[in-house]
Amino acid sequence: MEGFVAQKLNEFETGKISRRRLIEQLTLAATTLYATGAGAQADTTLKAQLINHISYTCPEFKTAADWYSKVFNLDQVGQSKNDVVLPFGKKGEQPYNVTAKDVPLSHLIVRTPERGQGGPPRAPKPTAQAVIDYISYTVADFNRERARADLAALGVKNVRDGGPRSLRMDDVYGYEVEICGLESSALSDG
Amino acid sequence: MQGKREDHGMERFIADLVKSFESGKVDRREFCKTVALAATVYAAGDAANAQATRGFKVIGVNHLSYSCPDYIRAREFFINVFGLESAPGKDNGRQANLMFGPEPGKGGTYILTHNATPSNRPQPEAYIDHFCFTLSNWDETRVRAAIKAKGQEISGGRPGSLHVLDPYSYDIQFANSVEENAFRH
Repeated sequence: MEGFVAQKLNEFETGKISRRRLIEQLTLAATTLYATGAGAQADTTLKAQLINHISYTCPEFKTAADWYSKVFNLDQVGQSKNDVVLPFGKKGEQPYNVTAKDVPLSHLIVRTPERGQGGPPRAPKPTAQAVIDYISYTVADFNRERARADLAALGVKNVRDGGPRSLRMDDVYGYEVEICGLESSALSDG
Repeated sequence: MQGKREDHGMERFIADLVKSFESGKVDRREFCKTVALAATVYAAGDAANAQATRGFKVIGVNHLSYSCPDYIRAREFFINVFGLESAPGKDNGRQANLMFGPEPGKGGTYILTHNATPSNRPQPEAYIDHFCFTLSNWDETRVRAAIKAKGQEISGGRPGSLHVLDPYSYDIQFANSVEENAFRH
């Protein structure tokens, strides 16, 4: 709390925020952190609603994006020289079974790392000791045997069984991808 | 003409399959099953082919498989910082399913946190460098204060779209619907 107050005060002293803003922010922080009671406790709890996006990095983003577009029938939007976005639905659609209006469709951002092209150097990130080793997507009307045949027809390589109700495959860069139906959940087996 | 193109495609498909069988990548059972299924699709004609070439309809992310040295540290982080819930009966001492979003079986998502195990899979050329949660009812001050209250530091980002590093230095982003939206460009 002290650090937060000092930071806000510094912002006020350097003219970054107004006096009114300083008071508002300190009041809010103080009541959130120091007030007693269940309501105040809940304010310090964040609640993830959905995956917003997954950032997928690969040698050539267009190659991967085309693979995902083909297999999952995804549109590509907002392409830049290094990346493109693949939303899981059309503009204006709500995510499945989500009613909150401020939760957008999940999407993939497929990107190629920027090669040294000038600009300010970025601070290196620490090396992560964790990895997302595969991603599982829920698809509509999933039937494993039919899906296996469909994937074969789409030319997808190395299709194999995942859990008892899913299929795994390698994408165009050898990244492991799973598909399953709605019945596969955190509470089911596999 | 169309028929010949399809025949050629099937021929190439079966030739590849035979190669896989000969090299031991596909066993006899899998080989037979795959050819039979391909034949079924082929026999069903244009309608089935059209169905297949449309691709699958993604409802959402079912789960992310998060591999790390000790899943308990990751489990506690995701529960404490982002309010995920450990699925009852699914924590076996090596892994846990951490749920969020819609109900399980109705579009819900989970993070499968698990201890890393040796794998003989070839290293892929692609990787997931970060993922992002959507938080509803975003209030910048409250969100920042909540992160601080959990003993975490904001590692980057901008108002409405922030990052933290988890206990294994994996980059976790969290954002509102305005700053991180597929259609905002």
